[in-house]
Amino acid sequence: MSVPVVATTRRAVLWVPDWPVVAAMTQAGLSAERPAAVLHGRGVVAVSAAARAAGVRRGQRRRLAQQACPDIAILPYDQARDARSFEAVAVAAEQVVSGVEISRPGLLMIPAEGAARFHGSEEALAGALVSAVADDAGCESSVGMADGFLAAILAARTSSLIPPGESADYLATMPVTVLAHAAMERAQRAQVEDLVSVLIRLGIDTLAALTHLPVGDVLARFGAVGVWAQRLARGEDVTAPVLRRSEDDIAVEYAFDEPVHRSEHLIPVVRLLAEQLDQALLAAGMRCGKVAITARTQRGDTLERVWRTDVGVRSGAFATHMADRVRWQVEGWLNGTAAGPERSALVWLGVLACDVVPLGSEHSYLWGGISGADSRAQRTVDRIQGLIGPEGVLAVREQGGRSPRERVLASPWGQELTEQRRLAHPWPGRIPDPPPATVLVAPAQAQVLDAGGAPVVIDRRLGLSAPPTWVRLEADRADQQALAAHRHPASGHVGRVTGTVWDRPRPVEAWAGPWPIAQRWWSEQSSRHAYLQVTLRDGPAVLLAFTGGCWMLDGVYD
Amino acid sequence: MFDWLEVDVGEIEAQEADAGRAGVSRVQLARLEKARAALAAVQARVGVGREPGQAPTLPLADYVADILPTGLRRGHVVAVEGSTSLVLALVAQASREGAWMAMVGMPRIGVVAAARRGLDLTRLVLIPDPSVQAPAVVGACVDGMDVVVVGPRLALSPADRRRLVAHARERGSVIVSAGPWEGAHVSVVVEGSYWAGLGAGEGRLRSREVEAVVSLRSGGPARRVRVVLDGAGAGGGEAGSGALSGEEVHRLATVGPSCQNRTHVRKTY
Repeated sequence: MSVPVVATTRRAVLWVPDWPVVAAMTQAGLSAERPAAVLHGRGVVAVSAAARAAGVRRGQRRRLAQQACPDIAILPYDQARDARSFEAVAVAAEQVVSGVEISRPGLLMIPAEGAARFHGSEEALAGALVSAVADDAGCESSVGMADGFLAAILAARTSSLIPPGESADYLATMPVTVLAHAAMERAQRAQVEDLVSVLIRLGIDTLAALTHLPVGDVLARFGAVGVWAQRLARGEDVTAPVLRRSEDDIAVEYAFDEPVHRSEHLIPVVRLLAEQLDQALLAAGMRCGKVAITARTQRGDTLERVWRTDVGVRSGAFATHMADRVRWQVEGWLNGTAAGPERSALVWLGVLACDVVPLGSEHSYLWGGISGADSRAQRTVDRIQGLIGPEGVLAVREQGGRSPRERVLASPWGQELTEQRRLAHPWPGRIPDPPPATVLVAPAQAQVLDAGGAPVVIDRRLGLSAPPTWVRLEADRADQQALAAHRHPASGHVGRVTGTVWDRPRPVEAWAGPWPIAQRWWSEQSSRHAYLQVTLRDGPAVLLAFTGGCWMLDGVYD
Repeated sequence: MFDWLEVDVGEIEAQEADAGRAGVSRVQLARLEKARAALAAVQARVGVGREPGQAPTLPLADYVADILPTGLRRGHVVAVEGSTSLVLALVAQASREGAWMAMVGMPRIGVVAAARRGLDLTRLVLIPDPSVQAPAVVGACVDGMDVVVVGPRLALSPADRRRLVAHARERGSVIVSAGPWEGAHVSVVVEGSYWAGLGAGEGRLRSREVEAVVSLRSGGPARRVRVVLDGAGAGGGEAGSGALSGEEVHRLATVGPSCQNRTHVRKTY
């Protein structure tokens, strides 16, 4: 923690006691009188007033807390939820003052001089803040005012207004344990609490005693934390206030008057949305890397899909490119072909720009970034997607898995690829490299026969019934000889040609295996395969799988 | 009689004197050359002047250099019959060095095999089934991509193929066909591929030799070439992380032939 010197400003602090518990209780729908605590890891992080009265303290284990207060409600820790719900309080406070700083969820820092002059007096400002927060956000808060960061926080805890210039005296009488209130993050707080315990053991009980220590000695003994603590104890500020700026997402939306069933009615709307988004991006001086297309159906479902748009690829054609993307996605939803709930009419359509970067940051155009070849390739892909639809052009990646088919992740070009299985994981027991160059889209039937012509069977202990001697694969449909042989009565049936047409049996030169892959035995997608690598005398090497009593051709090493 | 042997020393001296008079030293000349080379590289990358500024051949891996001694020339068609791995090996080096690739009409391509050979999957566009629009789609790919790999069962008539070849020559892209292509500049027919590493129930596929017959459209005798496509040292790209380690191989080898002749019915796997 580096400690730059900053001028002391008069601050007002709005403090909502036990904010994590308040947010969690609102989310869980509990009433305020119920004792509750928020648990993170193994210790309680925040305690509600009723629980504190019963004897529950921060840092206690769950069992201790439940022992102290049997009907306590233990709520989960969610930093994001705390931050999100505190926005409402910040917005309420912003109705009274022009800019607030959220130090952490539960603590608002407000530069007080201008606002106090506007409202007449500091008491008026404090009263206005408390009532605004109580009315709009519905929670109790307290406001304190003083010079300096630490003094203001402590003043807020007692709801007092320290006159200007008396903050140093106010702080001098405080015990060192109050330093923990000035730490905004958990890691910082742990460091400060360590420092406080050392100070107490050394006999430095009050902030006055801390300020009397020489700065050099404090730095040498306690490090940067000590200097930070000493500065705060003197009443100085360590960071200038950083005011919150609300940033609206760049998004456009359209609510249909009547639910839309047919995609033709959407075309003008989609074009309008794309142009509006382009204008909005241009007005903000931004470019976006991803676009999230959201639609709400009549039934109340929300469908969402994120598409990549290449930054720096096109300038003027952005609106048409966007219009194409949105139109394909919506058509997919309406026809029920895109992954999602069943087809139903759409009532609302929205497009949100994500990953916005300022215009002009495509600096690497010439010197090794997106190049002319990339943009040409991207235009080609767009053209082909226009011809055969977005699902016809695929982008592929490797993902984790054991068989060659599982290790491929394919999705339409431009869509976000999310891998189902992480590539970095070890995946023991997978089919060894080199992988087959041809992997059948769906496994085809095959026959593996032993020397006598009986099918080879693999038992549960991975023992083969006989070494494989012949392999018969499915014949090519144009292969007339195989068809004729199939029609011949000697093949075992009479009448019309039904069933698979088998090619002539090929002798096996060498084989290896079986590699067992039994996955997810506990779920419905359980699969048990035993793989065999076989080289054929007058054919390529093949990868065969035995599953459910029959043989399948999985891949060809051609 | 031997005047062609006489080096005109006088002329060289005059040239050096001129250079000295103009104040241009050798160091400055070298710097000028470097700057020109850098500018040419940038021009090639931006796409300015694609036709005059680009190299006439795409990079080719060493272990398949026997098959295409003149390299992958831009505007040419290479037809490879009988082995998808050979197709991947021919285009792998070009993809690794930045070329964009499209695979049209190859629904059964093994993507993991392509990645192992060294192809860059971020610059690979797969179009597994263009169905009726095949000529338009392949034409668009020839326009925009550096290498177009075409599958064996696309709906392309001979007239379409001729038009595509002319287009490729004009745009400087390479067409590699995984099936027969009449009028291909280089025609490779794989006659046999010999795998090593399997035994009677032990081992795994390790190394492969491929025997191919290469014939050129421009005439000349057909050559028979043996290429090592997979195996230690030559070919196969980087050893994949999925390769078995030493102990795994040993364990598999000691399993041995695990077949027994039993006649009664057993539960299957």
